[in-house]
Amino acid sequence: MKVEHVSNSFFLCDPSFTFIEVVYHSALQGAAPSNHYVRRKHVDFRLPPFLEEQTKATAAMAKLIWFCLKCILLCSTIEAVFEDQVGKFDWRQQYIGKVRFSHFDTHVQSSKKVLLATENNVFASINTRTGELFWRHVDMTGPEGNIDALLQHGQDAVLVVGDGRQLRSWDINIGGLNWEIVLDSGSFQSACLVGYQDTVKHVAVLKKTVISLHYLSNGHQKWIENLPESETVDFQAVYSGGNGEVYVLGVVPHSHIAIVAYSLDDGEIIKQISVEAPWLSNIQASCVVIGQGMLTCVDSAAVSLYTLDLHVQSQMTQIPLQSLGLEATPGFQPVLVSTQPNPARPPLSEFFLQLGPEHHLLLQLNSGQIVTLRDFKPAMLVSFATPGEKTVAAVMSPKNKTACSLNLFSAESGRRLLDTTLIFNLDPNGGKPEKLYVQAFLKKDDSVGYRAMVQTEDHTLTFIQQPGRVMWTREEALSDVVTMEMVDLPLTGTQAELEGEFGKKADGLLSMLLKRLSSQLILLQAWIAHLWKLFYDARKPRSLVKNDVTIENLSRDEFNLQKMMVMVTASGKLFGIDSKTGTILWRHYLDNIPSNAAFKLMVQRTTAHFPHPPQCTLLIKDKDTGLATLHVFNPIFGKKSHVTPPALLQPMLQSLMLPIMDQEYAKVLLLVDDQYKVSAFPSTKNVLQQLQEMASSIFFYLVDSNQGKLSGYRLRTDLSTELIWEIVMPTEVQRIVSVKGKRPNEHVHSQGRVMGDRSVLYKYLNPNLLAVVTESTDLHPERSFIGILLIDGVTGRIIHEAVQRKTRGPVHVVHSENWVVYEYWSTKSRRNEFSVIELYEGMELYNSTVFSSLDRPHAPQVLQQSYIFPSSISTMEATLTEKGITSRHLLIGLPSGGILSLPKMFLDPRRPEIMSEQSREENLIPYAPELLIRSEWFINYNQTVSRVRGIYTAPSGLESTCLVVAYGLDIYQTRVYPSKQFDVLKDDYDYMLISSVLFALFFATMISKRLAEVKLLNRAWR
Amino acid sequence: MASPGGQGGGAVSTRGGGGGARRMKWALELSLGNSRSRADRQGGQGDVVYPIGYSEKPVPDTSIQETDKNLVEKRCWDVALGPLKQIPMNLFIMYMSGNTISIFPIMMVCMMAWRPIQALMSMSATFKLLESSSQQWLQGLVYLVGNLLGSALAIYKCQSMGLLPTHSSDWLAFIGPPQRMEIMGGGMVL
Repeated sequence: MKVEHVSNSFFLCDPSFTFIEVVYHSALQGAAPSNHYVRRKHVDFRLPPFLEEQTKATAAMAKLIWFCLKCILLCSTIEAVFEDQVGKFDWRQQYIGKVRFSHFDTHVQSSKKVLLATENNVFASINTRTGELFWRHVDMTGPEGNIDALLQHGQDAVLVVGDGRQLRSWDINIGGLNWEIVLDSGSFQSACLVGYQDTVKHVAVLKKTVISLHYLSNGHQKWIENLPESETVDFQAVYSGGNGEVYVLGVVPHSHIAIVAYSLDDGEIIKQISVEAPWLSNIQASCVVIGQGMLTCVDSAAVSLYTLDLHVQSQMTQIPLQSLGLEATPGFQPVLVSTQPNPARPPLSEFFLQLGPEHHLLLQLNSGQIVTLRDFKPAMLVSFATPGEKTVAAVMSPKNKTACSLNLFSAESGRRLLDTTLIFNLDPNGGKPEKLYVQAFLKKDDSVGYRAMVQTEDHTLTFIQQPGRVMWTREEALSDVVTMEMVDLPLTGTQAELEGEFGKKADGLLSMLLKRLSSQLILLQAWIAHLWKLFYDARKPRSLVKNDVTIENLSRDEFNLQKMMVMVTASGKLFGIDSKTGTILWRHYLDNIPSNAAFKLMVQRTTAHFPHPPQCTLLIKDKDTGLATLHVFNPIFGKKSHVTPPALLQPMLQSLMLPIMDQEYAKVLLLVDDQYKVSAFPSTKNVLQQLQEMASSIFFYLVDSNQGKLSGYRLRTDLSTELIWEIVMPTEVQRIVSVKGKRPNEHVHSQGRVMGDRSVLYKYLNPNLLAVVTESTDLHPERSFIGILLIDGVTGRIIHEAVQRKTRGPVHVVHSENWVVYEYWSTKSRRNEFSVIELYEGMELYNSTVFSSLDRPHAPQVLQQSYIFPSSISTMEATLTEKGITSRHLLIGLPSGGILSLPKMFLDPRRPEIMSEQSREENLIPYAPELLIRSEWFINYNQTVSRVRGIYTAPSGLESTCLVVAYGLDIYQTRVYPSKQFDVLKDDYDYMLISSVLFALFFATMISKRLAEVKLLNRAWR
Repeated sequence: MASPGGQGGGAVSTRGGGGGARRMKWALELSLGNSRSRADRQGGQGDVVYPIGYSEKPVPDTSIQETDKNLVEKRCWDVALGPLKQIPMNLFIMYMSGNTISIFPIMMVCMMAWRPIQALMSMSATFKLLESSSQQWLQGLVYLVGNLLGSALAIYKCQSMGLLPTHSSDWLAFIGPPQRMEIMGGGMVL
């Protein structure tokens, strides 16, 4: 995609052209079927021709004035971080994702690096002592950046990226790129390092139809050969044993194995054989090469091993497992694990055979015979490691319910090495171990020492040292946050105690007095303990005094700036993170989460209702079956709540949080099932009674994008529903991409806007308004369009509709107050554009006390304007403050990793093309089609946030301050002040000066008063 | 001890005071009987020497009384018309100070508004002043109208400066958010 470059000067010097032209058509061009009863309004965006000459002197003058005006206006809104504020309110955590390949850097003794390639297309090096990143490379998302293979040799790490599209070599010390070459197209199968005479100089890449050999030093291709019979044979593996030959192994499923041997020097086919193997379907899953080129396969159907010497034989030898005295777990596909410590030498003749989930065997191929060296049962994970010459095998076996033990065994003999036991404690809130990576090294006395990196099901990486000390843990699940909420922290224990006292019901004077006295006593006790702690800490050196945040000492600060971030990740692990420091305070792994689950997190009870604990509910829905479960937990401590959620037997469609509360101050959650029946949680008698009373005013809407249907329902008193409106979008023309309502906790302070003549333009603040975005199914640049519909969710009335032609998604929408801002790609002008819609009631309010969607006779006035934005965007959100007095900013996550805070006043459809006295009075910025990105607007200065997927905003106790969390691959938390910190004294406020001046004045007054008295007295005596 | 000014205007003595005059070696007397001691003595003797132009008969002085009354009237009108006379000046100041809200225009507007109010508050005192006038009521009315005009002018100035809450926007902050009648929620089918 090439972006047409638009010169700035043109727009600057010609402010008089019309940017938006609204054209009305009766129907979409031949595309709208008759049942589509929505009248369409097309908004065409037209810019004047580019080459129109505008070379008047006045134009230059206008340009200059324009520019000056712009500068003045922009200067007034500058905000940036001072150098000494860096890291004071903000923090960033960098993640890499679930590990796919891992290599310990072994070429240098006492190296501290581990190389990791992950499923999030990240290649990183981590410090094994601290768990911090040395460097990290983030590739493209999706299959284009997918890391297919990671090979390491010496200082170089070779990556195959994007289904064999690219071959890259990285220097692992500094993370720099050595070279990169683009490979021929073709789907990637396998890659291996090729060594010859103890040196490794080449890497072989096998694709569906070709094999190519590249130099490790510069990536140049040595030779490339087409594979014979590649139409019928599925070539899957490549192997080299260091003897100058490269073997390519292919299979014709359920027929035979094809083996082709190439000469290392010129790529000539040395040998081509095919061996009968009717039981084999996949080489990579069931075969390994061991020893001197012995292909060993396992067949679960015949419960036997097959061996084949690649050099000589043309017939597979079957070795039934029973002949070895072994038995496979029924239904388990046995797995073979081998190791090739040096690519220039053949693999070891020892290998692991996994026969069951917890059953491993160490086998050895000894002169054509397979010998069992050791039987490991139970053993969950095994791994080979080669420190120096000898290879060792690490085996993890369960010890008890909460711990596993790791032991090292000699690979040659299967004997246990002494003093190599390592205890790995399982986290009760974590998953089971999934992968084991072992870093073995030789100690000074030639004994083997090791450290292990364990990856668990919840994507946690734990690095452990003997005898079981955890060196670090990385919660890689946080690289994939799905949804989050911020919850206020509770008051301190003592405050809560007092509050609890007043919260309880009075039962007699004496008991009240006693209660008061006891709580005062507790306060006194806490105060003394605090003093004692201060005294105790003061004696210790400062470095030892830690003020770590733990769950025990969590408390709300004065301005409620510190909150608990509850994060839900795709792996099903929940986290509670302190927003001030980024410390993970609790974690909870929900197992049995389906891989395509949809999550919805709701706060049912906040911390404001002491002594009732706060309560969050997570709705987890399996998209395949439609069945959903509820997980109810305490967001401060992460513990599962005692409240038992209802069992949801029917497939769920949506949930709806009502502002009504039960007797224990928990908000009522309505769950809508596929029969459009509603169940309430909690469903006490009181709640049901309240629901019956309010049923006629409870509405909900459902959007089914597969059927292109929007429907609105009303609740009946018997908790069934009735359909009251329905809008159908023909799915063959367009599909519904997103639906945005307003945030329930949003406050709008001002009900209108003051005009230049000091009259009021009242905002159309419909709390039930929905912004529905549709995209055309036709993606041709000339015919594609996006549509935006503003629908009243209660009545289904279409308030406004616009179609923008020659535009394409992805569309990012923010809907707040009385405005909707959306961003899209204009295929006509090939650029990103922002459009803003604002709704106004007019100069008079229809009803200033009550808003009812059912009683709205007048349609709102709609204003719209569009702008050019110089970058594509990843996500967008609006700031949110406690009372809504502070002006709003849009927080825009850019693909470059910046988070831009764009003042909403730049996206204002009332920006005039020609400045008048009144618009100047209103402080409107003259319209300019281009929105500029100013570097001061980046709230994350140099703290790049990779792949921002979402931005969450929460109000703080200070009206000026909004808390922001951006999540994606990284997590970044900061505060923004859209109208600057009008309610806070500056950091550099000179308390000393002010107080000393005050004191000086006070004393001066006292002294002069005394002097005056003395003088008066003297005069009286004279 | 000093001689009254009206009488001793012509007397020149090096050192005032009868007691002191005796000690002097010499004294020049320009007018007769101007020294107090001598005048006392002369008074005592009944030998009166009148100053030039003095007549013992009282002279009727009606003309002076008439002008006095005119003067009082004039003075009263001055008082009554005072506020009205200030209006052109105020207008000029208003024009000069402009409509921007800064310290000086605000001070001027405050002065302009405060003065008529003050005057209206001390109306009774003014009436007392005007008591002697025959056209007391008319003058009082004119005074009142003048002050009212002055304050109207101040209000007009406030209005033009935008200090009066006369627009709907001035009451915007008091409009609370409307109450929601319906509860609505939902979303995409999960």
